[in-house]
Amino acid sequence: MSQIKLEHVMMRFGSVVASRDINVTINSGEYVTVLGPSGCGKTTLIKIISGILHPTEGRVLIDGKDVTDIPIEDRDVGYVFQNIALFPHMNLKDNVGYGPRVRDKSREETDAISEEYLTLVKMLDRSGYLPSELSGGEQQKVAIARALASGSKVIMLDEPLSALDARVRVELRYDIRRLVKKLGITVLHVTHDQEEAMSVSDRIILMRKGTIHEIGTPLEIYRDPKSIFAAYFIGETNLIECTVVKRTKKGNTQVVLRDGSITRIKGIKFDVGDPVVLSVRPEHVYTANDGIRATVREVVFMGTYWRVRTEADSQDLIEYNISTDTDTPAKGDVVYLVFNKKATRLFARPIQGLQEEIVLE
Amino acid sequence: MALIEKIDEISSNPRNRKAWLALACIIFAVIIVIPAIFVIFSIPTRWDEIQGVLADSDTMSIIWGAIWNSFSLAFIVTVLDIVVGLPMAWMLVRKNYRFNKYLDTFIDMPLAFPTVALGFSVMVFWGCPDGITVPGLGLVMSPYLMVVLLHLIFTYPYMVRCLSGILEQIDTNCETAAMTLGASKWTAVRTITLPLFRAGLVTGFILCFARSLSETGGTYIVLTMMGASTFDINGFFTGPTLISELRHMSQDPTSGLGDAVPELILISSLLIVFALLMLFLAKTIMTRLKIPWRKVWPRFGRRVSGKKVATAKDSLAFMFALIFILIPSFYIFVCLGTEGSYSDYGGFLSAVGTSFLVAGVATVFDIIFGIPVAMYIARNRGSKRAELLDNLVNVPLIIPTTALGFSLGLFWGGLGLSSWGVLLVIFGHISFTYPLLVRNLVGAIEEVDPSYEEIARTLGAKPFQAFRKVLLPMVKSSLLAGAVLAFTRSLGETGATQAISNTVNTVPIYIVNFINGDIPNYYAAAVSSVMLIAICFVFMFGLRIVIDRMGGKD
Repeated sequence: MSQIKLEHVMMRFGSVVASRDINVTINSGEYVTVLGPSGCGKTTLIKIISGILHPTEGRVLIDGKDVTDIPIEDRDVGYVFQNIALFPHMNLKDNVGYGPRVRDKSREETDAISEEYLTLVKMLDRSGYLPSELSGGEQQKVAIARALASGSKVIMLDEPLSALDARVRVELRYDIRRLVKKLGITVLHVTHDQEEAMSVSDRIILMRKGTIHEIGTPLEIYRDPKSIFAAYFIGETNLIECTVVKRTKKGNTQVVLRDGSITRIKGIKFDVGDPVVLSVRPEHVYTANDGIRATVREVVFMGTYWRVRTEADSQDLIEYNISTDTDTPAKGDVVYLVFNKKATRLFARPIQGLQEEIVLE
Repeated sequence: MALIEKIDEISSNPRNRKAWLALACIIFAVIIVIPAIFVIFSIPTRWDEIQGVLADSDTMSIIWGAIWNSFSLAFIVTVLDIVVGLPMAWMLVRKNYRFNKYLDTFIDMPLAFPTVALGFSVMVFWGCPDGITVPGLGLVMSPYLMVVLLHLIFTYPYMVRCLSGILEQIDTNCETAAMTLGASKWTAVRTITLPLFRAGLVTGFILCFARSLSETGGTYIVLTMMGASTFDINGFFTGPTLISELRHMSQDPTSGLGDAVPELILISSLLIVFALLMLFLAKTIMTRLKIPWRKVWPRFGRRVSGKKVATAKDSLAFMFALIFILIPSFYIFVCLGTEGSYSDYGGFLSAVGTSFLVAGVATVFDIIFGIPVAMYIARNRGSKRAELLDNLVNVPLIIPTTALGFSLGLFWGGLGLSSWGVLLVIFGHISFTYPLLVRNLVGAIEEVDPSYEEIARTLGAKPFQAFRKVLLPMVKSSLLAGAVLAFTRSLGETGATQAISNTVNTVPIYIVNFINGDIPNYYAAAVSSVMLIAICFVFMFGLRIVIDRMGGKD
């Protein structure tokens, strides 16, 4: 059992507010990733939980116990750094055994624990090596073993994979998830890699400007983002400014684009005349004989599909995907686009303008 | 500008660059390294006379005593420096006290003081020599202890700088990681951060040890004022002051000592050999020495990790710096308030002129011929040749400057240049200032990613242009720091100047002569010391402004 709860946490560095009024509960054994643009306060959040930073206001609770004033070394929260931070002067066995050793375990116990966790990450045969003799991926595995070996039931991963090669990164992320799930560890994993966040987490916390913007399972956030920012930041999407013109009896909403062309979306959340923003992911845009008229500007090969970038007559930029085994349109061709109306979402148009709403910094 | 463009052009030919490096290396060998240790090779030529000295047990006991004093002093001072310098470095780097900024500046100040002035100041503060009316603490202590107190002052800044430099480089994540694993602050620092200090400790050890071993002027003043520079039962010498005293007495025909050259050869050679041995030992033993991290005492660690202990430690470090380093350094200003007469401004100014000439030429020479060597060492880490060069650069640093000066005098004198006093003094000063500048530069250049210069080259810059426009601005502050260090070190040097020439009168020699005379004139020594300190500060300040302006333009 190791549930984490933050209550009204606020962190100020001088005049800069890095976190403001954060309230969140991470369940025991849950794997949660923290995603957000750089400088949004992701790392600050996990540093507060691990005790490296002391919040200006608010409380941190682990299993219902207030640990806000408990120093780092007594908090039992493991932390894995982006730059790995294995102790360069100790071999792997001593690195992994460091936690038990400073907790006054006997030599035999320390060795046994160290071996156990090195086995878990399949690095036991290298136990006598120095960190500098390993590859980046291997080093990070040992760093994770070290954090777990100290007996922590909660660990914070601070962009643990971002310094590694692409292929190693992909393999290691599944290894980590498998390992922590097996041990029932609660994990908070900071990353800026969306694919990573999608593929390993039980839930994603999307942060922005020091606050929690949205929380949900990867599927929820991708399929039903609650804000334009979430739709834009997680995955790719086309954002089109338009206005509601009609609510049909079948439960659809009809909107008009800036050039007067009309399209239909499922659901009736808005009233006629409301200014809205339509969000549709490229994989839900198709070509047809009739629809929104657009001119092809660019066709890009993405490896597993073609990405066609078009400019609609309404001057909105709309992108869509086509399979690699089909013919591609040429630059300058005119295409007619339709949206999968079930997968299209409408948001209220922000007063300060669309660009302001999705700005990253 | 035409000349610079010409150099740009010439630099694009790799053969020219190689030739330039070779020239710098040859100059390094011929002007700096070989003369510095030449004295050892002169032993066989005067073997008969040296044998006479070796047979004279009275003289030999003085010589061995002096050498023992030098090395034991240097060792004690260096160990003390580590013990008291570490908390200070820690406080400067890791804590955010409001006074840190000022402390940072103040700690370096003793480096800008000529050691003769420091010697005088320390003597007045701790002791209360006859003939001075300034109120001092009036403690009666052995010459040995007094010299320890003096040497602490000018070695402490080196140690603090060295340790704080390393501390800044150590990734704090390792320490934090240790704490998330359950280690208390104290345990984390002891088992993780300190073991990573090793390289810095070795450098700091060598620097402080060499500085203490080498120092002549200040020690000589302290010992003379205590009446200990005599060849009787009260006599107390360090290696360098023994050389100084022998040189001083050999000028006096009534002493019946003759030219004392065999004794000088012997002492210098012994000092050089032991110093090099020491360097070797420091490099081999200390790099293998491990700070024990395997054993932990979690409960004790927890108890000493509290805030109270940390505050107590910081206050102690601060008090130590104040009482043992800063106040004794500045105490000389109190002497200005005493009665006395001083009017030899002409003599002072001419000595200042000589000092600046020597220091200036030496520093410029260091810069011109030090840069290629520093670049070679920094950019070819791991190659055998660069490693050799790197070790050779340390040689003049560790050799006591008095021995170095004497050796140099013999070398160039043997080539018939002994009448060129000022030139030889300049050569001598180049020898021991060169490593200071090169060390600083190597460190700075290693920090700069070579890809910056490579990018400049791909954009069409000639190698010399890339150096001038890209590398140089990035290492400018280190180059300046090194140059200031070299310059002030030269300005404050007594031993080497004395050992090379009897006629060249630099300011430190000028000051020593006031105290060394038949009737010591302490007031005059104090006034001229303070004037020298003032000139040093004005000069350094001016230099900083000029360099800052230049930086803005180019």
